[in-house]
Amino acid sequence: MNVTLVTTFWRQRLTSAVRLAIVAMLTGVPLLAVAFMPGAGLGVLGNAQGLVLTLGAGMIGQDVSSGVLQLLCARPVGRPDYVLSRWSAVGLAGVAISLVQLGLAVAVLGARGHAPSTQEIALFGAQRSFECLGLAAVLALLSSLIGGIGDLGLYLVANLGAGIVQMVGQVKHWRWMDTAGAELLASLTPTLDLPRLVASTPMPWSPIASYASTVVLCLALAILAVNRKELSYASG
Amino acid sequence: MPPAEPPAVPGGSTRARPNALLVLAAALLVARIGTGLYEERHPPSMVELVHWQPIEGAEARASAERRPVLYDFTAEWCVPCQTMQREVFSDPQAARDIDLNFVPVRVLDRTREEGQNLAVVDSLQRRFRINAFPTLVIVRPGGGDPVLLSGYQGKLQTLQRLHAVQVQGLLPFPTSAPPGSAGGR
Repeated sequence: MNVTLVTTFWRQRLTSAVRLAIVAMLTGVPLLAVAFMPGAGLGVLGNAQGLVLTLGAGMIGQDVSSGVLQLLCARPVGRPDYVLSRWSAVGLAGVAISLVQLGLAVAVLGARGHAPSTQEIALFGAQRSFECLGLAAVLALLSSLIGGIGDLGLYLVANLGAGIVQMVGQVKHWRWMDTAGAELLASLTPTLDLPRLVASTPMPWSPIASYASTVVLCLALAILAVNRKELSYASG
Repeated sequence: MPPAEPPAVPGGSTRARPNALLVLAAALLVARIGTGLYEERHPPSMVELVHWQPIEGAEARASAERRPVLYDFTAEWCVPCQTMQREVFSDPQAARDIDLNFVPVRVLDRTREEGQNLAVVDSLQRRFRINAFPTLVIVRPGGGDPVLLSGYQGKLQTLQRLHAVQVQGLLPFPTSAPPGSAGGR
């Protein structure tokens, strides 16, 4: 991981007023909901999908489209290093914002007399962190395949496709198709359901293996895709 | 003239095959398929030692056996419920006591997962005004005010309260949602 690439990415994201406004909204609105409905607990905060998609859209594709990747590779920066730095930058930014949001939510809940337990806070924070890092890996792969913020469209289309596959499987009672759709959907938003994991006996390993394999596979494929790109100053 | 920077990538190429990641990805893929197939045949379960009875007919059975009904209002997403499941209902001694002294009935809320509940679940939630999970409700045979234990207060306190109902009859319990509940349907 290249620290300079990570911090440069964060600085670049901080200059985008639209992204900042969306991130502020995605962070602030659930906090308002927590304040008005303290009885609903931390579940009101929802997931980190919107946050990571906002932070990560175009994480590689925009560099390809704008010619920044050509300049970076002329430095030279290794392409694997570049991809892993982009993933880390998006994932860690998501984790940091999620944890700040969680901290504020816990403070609000405490003030309203509904303080969650330490275990609940820890599980929620860890789950959100896994979710941010997992989705950032998926987005890195999609962004390496398409220019600009086309990765966002690709993500939505893939989700829609997987949802249709699952729905058809359920309607037709084709279990294999239902399972394939569910696996695809889970792979597009890899996360670990930690409360369920810790409450199961014996602890199931397949969700952990699924999560880890999705993240590692996405990163490896993203690096291969970026490796294949022929970059020149003449390319768009 | 500034000193020349050493090349960041040996040999000048910025490309490098992610061999370690590819090997790791292949190994994890094998693990994913293997664990998936294994756990499909041997599904891990939430530890369950209490013999939960069906909702229908539970109160009639309780009247016949002169035991109170213990309703456990819970939801799959509720973290305190899972803690209570692990610490109380999965404790062999506690589970034995509950089976012996109550007619235990689990009332699972599925609103978040399926958009609605079974009519019988909704009816019980309305009857006892459930607004937080977990909530334990104890209904004595022959009627009387039900006792509500709202939220999870820890294993010791939960067992003490169940024991108090069992040996001393009804005691005053708090009915508002205290810390330790996940609330909201």
